[in-house]
Amino acid sequence: MKAVSNKKLGISKKDISGWLIMLPTIILFAFFVWEPLGESVRLSLYTAKGIRLQEFVGLDNYALVLNHPDFLAAFKNTFTYILWSLIIGFFTPIIMAVLITETVHFKGLFKIGVYFPNIMPGMAMVMMWGFFFRPGDTGVLNILLSKLGIESMEWLTNPKLTIPLIIATMTWKGAGSTALIYMAGINGINPELYEAATLDGAGIRQRVRFITLPNIFSLGKTLLILQVITVFQILYEPLVMTNGGPNNRSISIMQLVFNYAFRDYNYPAAAALSVMICIVLVILSAFYFKLTKSKED
Amino acid sequence: MFFDKYRKKDEGTIRYYDLYSRKHRILAVLIFAVCIGMVIIALFPAVWVFLASFKDNAEFRKEATILPAAFNIENYIKTWNDLKFFKYYFNSFAVVLGSVISSIIFNGLLAYGLAILRPKGYKVIFTLVMWGLLIPATTSVVALFVNINRIGLNQSFLPLWLSMGANAFFVVLFKQFFEGLPKELIEAAKLDGCGVLRTFISIILPLSKPIVMVITIFTINAAWSDFLLPFLVLNGSGHETVMVRLFLFRTSNATDVEVLRAVAFSIIPPIILFLIFQKQITEGTTAGAIKG
Repeated sequence: MKAVSNKKLGISKKDISGWLIMLPTIILFAFFVWEPLGESVRLSLYTAKGIRLQEFVGLDNYALVLNHPDFLAAFKNTFTYILWSLIIGFFTPIIMAVLITETVHFKGLFKIGVYFPNIMPGMAMVMMWGFFFRPGDTGVLNILLSKLGIESMEWLTNPKLTIPLIIATMTWKGAGSTALIYMAGINGINPELYEAATLDGAGIRQRVRFITLPNIFSLGKTLLILQVITVFQILYEPLVMTNGGPNNRSISIMQLVFNYAFRDYNYPAAAALSVMICIVLVILSAFYFKLTKSKED
Repeated sequence: MFFDKYRKKDEGTIRYYDLYSRKHRILAVLIFAVCIGMVIIALFPAVWVFLASFKDNAEFRKEATILPAAFNIENYIKTWNDLKFFKYYFNSFAVVLGSVISSIIFNGLLAYGLAILRPKGYKVIFTLVMWGLLIPATTSVVALFVNINRIGLNQSFLPLWLSMGANAFFVVLFKQFFEGLPKELIEAAKLDGCGVLRTFISIILPLSKPIVMVITIFTINAAWSDFLLPFLVLNGSGHETVMVRLFLFRTSNATDVEVLRAVAFSIIPPIILFLIFQKQITEGTTAGAIKG
């Protein structure tokens, strides 16, 4: 009798034990991932003294954040970051993957070598590159330049170079692991395609253009969106390498959040900015899901 | 000699028959040379950190050279002691250890539910987890920080440990692996009267050693490298991790060489880990991305 009534409800003992097994992790996800999103929204609508909420102020915090001169700088910089990451960061791993695929000697070593920067902790990496970009004779890049007989450069303190160089360091760290993903994609291409193309008289360049690249195109779209999502939240590099300078030319939106929250202790303003970033990321993520879905079909 | 190995090549564009043309032979050599260049660029900065940190401060600031005048390990030991780095190593190791345990248990259990038990409505949770994969923690870190303070868990390792137990990427990796396990074994365990938790501990986990290994390695690296949450939770508590200590150099009066040595200390454990487990790490990266 009891089994029948449970069936009517549609919940079996198996379902209950399944949910119980998942419950602890669901609580963790709720605490660390889901609830903070809602809490951000709530926090952004109030004034606060430290972490204690004071009074409901509607969208005042949003207005405060948006009207701050730093916001405009950070907003513009975000587009510059994304633009440069498309130019430098997107193509580098594709080129690396195509080239490494064409080697037969030390291929394993190449793969491991280019992946290596990815295991460097982000904080250690940005401090290390700080030494490389140091202006003056003792900066590592300037030492290398002087060996080639080229004059010292300003590097990060030259506002035209700041963002491209930051993107270059990010690419240095991330390109190798992305290249391995592309390589896996290239290796999945049916070799007969290449052989058939060769019989039809296609040269090496044409084979890359008409077989390799179209076959990794959908992978590229997906990785591109992930890259934009990552660049959107860039924080360590401007925070440590330039402190947003020179003259706000590299300040990022996440850095503004960091400054509001942990320098000025203005948590509601930081939350308002977080919510806006989050909305943009949700839109980008929706694109990502659409792309990966259509890939599976 | 160099080109003989191309006979067996069946990936990518260039085939052995292309190499009858002199132009293509030059291209193959050129590609090989460029790849060597890429590896040098990838490795040089870390090598430089170790080379330059053997310099003393005067040498570092004045001499525009790559190689140090002498390799004196005592300087290293002195900086290690001066900066009390043992303490930061100890704290980081404590964070790493707890994170690994929490990561395997919690992410594993959720994936077990999503991949094998599949209770009614599990898809809702899976969708929520996937969204969490794409909305990264940094955007809600302010609210999380406020919440942690409200329940009084600041200045403790606990939130750092538990946060690794809610990692969407690891859940997806576990789930994919569990879905590939032989169903018969799990059914057999059930018929033998094995409870769901027992099945997980004595059947699923032992069968999943490869993925447990990959996630352990990834968790070690993530926990060691993490900065933002450890900084917010531990700063000023006396339990700072290595990465938090590095950040604090921004406002300290340490010399360049001391900072550089600290950077060297902070990258030694990940490098050792990578040298031992390069295969698992590189394969785990591609597996997660292609299927996820």
